[in-house]
Amino acid sequence: MDFSIILRALPDFLDGTKNTIIYCVSSFALALLLGLVLALASGSKYTWLRGPARIYIEVIRSTPMIAQMFLMYYGLSTILFNLSNSFGWNNLAVYVNGWTAGIAALVLNYAAYEAEVFRAGFLSVERGQTEAALSLGLNSSQNFIRIVLPQAVPLMIPPFVNDFIYMLKDSAIVSVIAGTELTSKLDFWRITNGSNTIPLFILAMALYLVLSLPTSYFARWYERKLRAAL
Amino acid sequence: MIEPKIHDFGDGDPRVSVITHANQRSASRGWLVILNYVFYASVIAVVGGLVYYLYQFRDSITLFFPTLLAGAGTTIFLSISSMILAAIFGFIGALGRLSRFGPFRWLAAIYVEVIRGTPILIQLFLWGFGIRGLLEQVGFDPYTIVFNFMTILQSNSLVPNPNVVDAAFYGIMGLSFNYGAYLTEVFRTGIETVPIGQTEAGLSLGLNSRQILRHIVLPQAFRITIPPFANYFITLVQDSALLSAIGGALELQELTTTAATVSASNPNRQLFFYVFGALMFLAICYPLALLAHYLELRFAEAY
Repeated sequence: MDFSIILRALPDFLDGTKNTIIYCVSSFALALLLGLVLALASGSKYTWLRGPARIYIEVIRSTPMIAQMFLMYYGLSTILFNLSNSFGWNNLAVYVNGWTAGIAALVLNYAAYEAEVFRAGFLSVERGQTEAALSLGLNSSQNFIRIVLPQAVPLMIPPFVNDFIYMLKDSAIVSVIAGTELTSKLDFWRITNGSNTIPLFILAMALYLVLSLPTSYFARWYERKLRAAL
Repeated sequence: MIEPKIHDFGDGDPRVSVITHANQRSASRGWLVILNYVFYASVIAVVGGLVYYLYQFRDSITLFFPTLLAGAGTTIFLSISSMILAAIFGFIGALGRLSRFGPFRWLAAIYVEVIRGTPILIQLFLWGFGIRGLLEQVGFDPYTIVFNFMTILQSNSLVPNPNVVDAAFYGIMGLSFNYGAYLTEVFRTGIETVPIGQTEAGLSLGLNSRQILRHIVLPQAFRITIPPFANYFITLVQDSALLSAIGGALELQELTTTAATVSASNPNRQLFFYVFGALMFLAICYPLALLAHYLELRFAEAY
């Protein structure tokens, strides 16, 4: 086992780590937005909002992430290609590359999980708060923005941070369709150094630990502060 | 209004669950409710479209459905064996985390933190390429062991070729090592959630700690750990699809690999088989999710 390969691979792996952070931060922000929309839809009194939202959440949670990645990368490009051909547009499939397909798959997958966290957070605020707000004459959206949301958000931060840690690890799956993530660099170096792969794995796992351990300590610290404050 | 729904499992303790969306009979019903019927119509249209899509590819389906079914069978076999092994690893890990002996505690803590902090894909690569290379140099051959074992059971014709057995072995090891770490935390939480008064009562009755664990703590902890265990099993079934990424020579024909190989030449067929594979995963995982939901209600604690 030749550990000097770690020094040679380090710049490439750090570049991969930077890409991982970019993937995760952008996907998580978009997933939070889409998750909020989904949460509001799945709690709606209109079946035509609730139905599609719940079907979407159940389908996403019952299919593997890697299948969703393949569908986004290969499937979406095929669909866009056929669509562009039948409508005579420019080929829309050029917009599907490793970055867009990876971010799209991560966003669509994590929005389902964030929607469940949002819903749990909104339901954890006592109904009495909403009833008091409505009896004071606030309408439904004022109640949501000024009463429910400020009380729900601190409770939702730990699950969100935990989900971010899961996303840091699930971003590794983007490596099966793209070439710029940390796991892709690991794969590339592993193939070109077939006999001496263990140090590369150690380096890649250490870099992921550097990303995820501080985040989990932050989550635990925040949870302790929250429980002390309640 | 939010109405509670009461489940009676016949054990004298009705569970109450709450329907968590606004009821339609609220005052501001509005004209938007008409769109409900648009939704129902669109569901029928989507289902019809799906049936038409399947009909378009009926030749491919009749040709390749048995292969896909075999792939699904492999997936289920891999998931169940990985879960059993992961439960064993998790139990050992939980005992380690709760041990009075320092180094066992630290070893278990390192195991859990490292495994939970790194992606499962890298761990599968590590097992499927890194550790496999090391063990092959040492001369460890899973195929020979499995073959000899199956010969004792008189069924050695069931053993597939060495590449498949090796890939399956290292895949199962990778998956169970990963899920063992998560199950360690589940089991540890389950054991710690049993009130300390139970242990104290056992001690006051003169039981030693092994008897307390076996007769008092573990039966109660079992009830608490069933719902997260079921949810992790569903996630495990989906993560077994990742094994298609380490099957470098497509040795391990589980569902995702099969879907990729039967359609490699034609992008339209590829899309169809990825959708079909996802539907098969749905058919496996959605009933499991309903079962997990039922278990969550059934084993809910009364406070």
